[in-house]
Amino acid sequence: MSNVTIGETPAWKDYEKIGFRVIFIYFLLQALPLDWKFYSYLFSGAAFPLHYEDIFNLANYTTRFGAGPATYTDWAILLAIAIAGAAIWTYADRQRSRINVAGSSLRTNEISNTNSPSRTNGITGSGSYDAAFYWLRVILRYRLALALLAYGFLKLFALQAPYPSLSSLNTPYGDFNRWKLFSLSLGIVPSYELFLGGVEIVLALLLLFRKTASIGAFIFLIFCGNIFVSNLAYDGGDQVYSLLLITYGLVILSFDFQRIVRLLILQQPTAAATFKPVFEGIKRNGRWILKTAFLLFFVVVYGVKTGVGAKHDPYQFPTTKGLPAISGLYNVATFILNGDTLAYSLTDSLRWRNVVFEEWNTISIRTNTPALIADNNQHLVRKDNAERLYEIEGTNGRHYYSYAADTAQHQLTLQNRHPQLAAETLSLHYSRPDSNRVILAGTTYSRDSIYVVLEKVDKKYLLEEVAKGRGRNRKLKL
Amino acid sequence: MAHNTQTLPDEPVIRQAAAGAPPAEESPLSQLPAWKEYQLILFRIAFIFFIALSVPNSIEWYQQLVQLNWAQLNYRDLYDIARFGSGINFLGSTIFGSSLAGYANWITTALIATVGGLIWTAVVKARKLPRKEYYTAWYWLRVIVRYRAGIGIIGFGFTKLLPVQMPYPSLGILNTNFGDLTAQKIYWLSIGIVPWYQVFAGVVEVTAGTLLFFRKTTTLGSILLLGALGDIVYVNFAYDGGVHVYSSYFVLLSALLLVNDVPKIYRLLVQERFTVPVNYYPSFSERWLRYTRIGLKSATIFLFLGVLFYLQLVNFLYDPYKQPAVAGVQQLRGNYQVTEFRLNDQVIPYSPIDTVRWQEATFENWSTFTYRVNKPQPLDLSNGGGDPQRDVNRTFEITGLAGGQRAFHYYADEVNKVLYLEDKYKAIPDRRNRTAGVGGDGGAVVDEAAEKAARQQAARAQQDWIPAEARKNIGDESLKIAPIALSARRARDYASAPAYEKRNRFTVKYSTTDGAHVVLTGVDENKNNIYVVLDRVDKKYALSPSGLNAGNY
Repeated sequence: MSNVTIGETPAWKDYEKIGFRVIFIYFLLQALPLDWKFYSYLFSGAAFPLHYEDIFNLANYTTRFGAGPATYTDWAILLAIAIAGAAIWTYADRQRSRINVAGSSLRTNEISNTNSPSRTNGITGSGSYDAAFYWLRVILRYRLALALLAYGFLKLFALQAPYPSLSSLNTPYGDFNRWKLFSLSLGIVPSYELFLGGVEIVLALLLLFRKTASIGAFIFLIFCGNIFVSNLAYDGGDQVYSLLLITYGLVILSFDFQRIVRLLILQQPTAAATFKPVFEGIKRNGRWILKTAFLLFFVVVYGVKTGVGAKHDPYQFPTTKGLPAISGLYNVATFILNGDTLAYSLTDSLRWRNVVFEEWNTISIRTNTPALIADNNQHLVRKDNAERLYEIEGTNGRHYYSYAADTAQHQLTLQNRHPQLAAETLSLHYSRPDSNRVILAGTTYSRDSIYVVLEKVDKKYLLEEVAKGRGRNRKLKL
Repeated sequence: MAHNTQTLPDEPVIRQAAAGAPPAEESPLSQLPAWKEYQLILFRIAFIFFIALSVPNSIEWYQQLVQLNWAQLNYRDLYDIARFGSGINFLGSTIFGSSLAGYANWITTALIATVGGLIWTAVVKARKLPRKEYYTAWYWLRVIVRYRAGIGIIGFGFTKLLPVQMPYPSLGILNTNFGDLTAQKIYWLSIGIVPWYQVFAGVVEVTAGTLLFFRKTTTLGSILLLGALGDIVYVNFAYDGGVHVYSSYFVLLSALLLVNDVPKIYRLLVQERFTVPVNYYPSFSERWLRYTRIGLKSATIFLFLGVLFYLQLVNFLYDPYKQPAVAGVQQLRGNYQVTEFRLNDQVIPYSPIDTVRWQEATFENWSTFTYRVNKPQPLDLSNGGGDPQRDVNRTFEITGLAGGQRAFHYYADEVNKVLYLEDKYKAIPDRRNRTAGVGGDGGAVVDEAAEKAARQQAARAQQDWIPAEARKNIGDESLKIAPIALSARRARDYASAPAYEKRNRFTVKYSTTDGAHVVLTGVDENKNNIYVVLDRVDKKYALSPSGLNAGNY
């Protein structure tokens, strides 16, 4: 590619060049998919055919050396590699310039022309890294846009924070941890989630075009700065990733930062950027083809897949359907354990308090003992139903079981959804005398026999009753 | 790594002025570009519109300003100065009967401003004195808008910086099911559970407001304000928060302040052309003008950054404005299970479907007792905030939630060990936020006439529900907070409390040693005898406790 530098471009000073080399290598290591784990996921059978979940996971992959998510330690290692690489580069550059000076005394320094366009050749010729900086910025812009599109569509279709499950609606507020409450509080307002997703997608589009990239990066820094602080405050698991994206935004903005400060804060006449890339011939067409392909795949294809997925396969909840027309809140009217009828109690450690059947094959039981908390706070996008643990994470109010139903024999096999408690199974025979009652009889994992009569509660949730009417300025009795 | 070049070959005229030239401040008006005709007309309309929107429009605001007791300030005194409704409202606040989600007032003001602007244009044309620009008037309009937005958002911001705007949930709220809360309540609680995040949000708002006080940083402050409040507008629509008009107000003001900067950035970054910003600042040549300017600016900053910070700090430490301020009985604190419940000497066993028996009870750190019962209750769905000083009217424990939760404010006669409890729910809530006016947040809809009639009816009963001797033991609630937090507003609110309010009430004797086992005997609001045994339980919530506790209990 050739590029045009208009006007004088002072040569990059030595410390600027060394600093740039470190930054260049470091951010290339971070932003480009260089991890073998990325390719093993991509080419293993797990990723094909590409579902929206796979595209999301691939788009947000970051280089890591450990088994879990990327941490600050991984950053430190990459930074060390970058410093080492920059040292080698500096050394090689010094060697080359020594040879040049020795070899040809007639060559003039190309950057000393005034007031005329000068041509620079290659990435590092003539001591100016303007071209290299341009390409680094391109890579970071597309990488950041990719992350924003991936998350943006999940929010646009209200997938990332789903509407709370029935079990969550019937769990006391204090039985959730902070991160779960943050997610639930966003899940109840799909219109706001849609707005946030829309903002992310618009920012991504701004980043894809050179002239609007700095504006997009600036707005993004405010947006993501809030996400980063939220992750700190709510004990979320996306602290490292959001900070990484912030560093990308800072690099993207840095190109125009001094200009913007001069114009808006110092309020002085400001010259525009002096480096403009010029593409000719096949490179010009190639650029447009690549850009269009990117937009086509990550906006249109991914967007459509996610939209379809929102309808048929929302990734936060299992998709296996539960028993027909059974979902709801049930009071445990009768509870007989090993032949003993246990009365209603708020202190008995064994007696069930109430039961919720979800639309999918989950049943949750409230007892008088707190459940073991599944405290994962990472945002995990999974295709496998057994790995979709969002409904049990961050809460100790209810015990969650997935069930397999044999509708011919009227048998339910319950298994505790918590990965550490998977050995807890119950084997129950169910009967539904009418649409409001379910009778369960069988054995628990501790070999006790139980007989339970569940009566459906006609529960009205304030959250939904208020939303139905004309707002809160009316008398309501619940 | 951006390198600014000094000159460009295709803009020779600017080169002389730009290279090393002083900033545009000193250019006399005649050298600045003239305004186009449409800009002049738009300016006239905007001038009327934004001045109308920056000036308080309710008579109560002016009254409270005059009546302010500057020696015994409450944070709310300064907050109410900063938080006022505005806009032209003498024609009413509805258009064809609809309030247009609260924005009707703006539309009316805009229409009047347009008419006014066109009349002004006609007058200018008729007098044959053509104007080329309004640089000076534009500067002063910006000053008014900057300071209005600045003090408004700083008032808001301090209630977050000292986290009192969104209180940490009480025990009663922690025990309420998620589905039994309104969306508005859920949003407020989601910030209340992370006080340090609230502090961060407060820092952002106060910073945005402070940046607006200075010329060089006005753009940055406006961008922050636009971003933060733009998000809050959408949040208010999504969660039905009720404050969407007042938040949009700041978005509108900051948009006006950015109207010059958007074309500049577009030209520099998108068109990639040399940009010369035009900023006019009148020079204050006379000494008295300069001193007045510095004096007014310093006074504003002193009042709204210095004094307000102090008052808000005192408020946070001793009298958090949404939470009852008076400490509860020391032994009676925490979550309690209802071990035994007798109504008229009949034991009622626990059942989740029983509509009389209490299921669980809490004694909060402050003067509130709550219990839960499986019976539909009339609900208070308002925001539960505002300016009430009396504990019984600080209703965040009951607003926006259901699930059979009832909360009672109590007076404790610790000598005779008697609790006098009154329901915090009131069918016709007391009026709050009187100075907010149109476009502010005037609190719940209130029928003042009905309230007065109810009070008169109760006054005819003419009996204090608390005997005089008990009153002596209880003491004056208005003085039961740290002396440094006492203010004229608190005293006035307590003094004007209606003598014979209509509320559900009941009285119980309590007996306990250290509060772990409490027996309550008395008469409930329906004149039934109750005998309740409460045993304290140590509930381990999954939610982490607050790291920043408001109030002193």
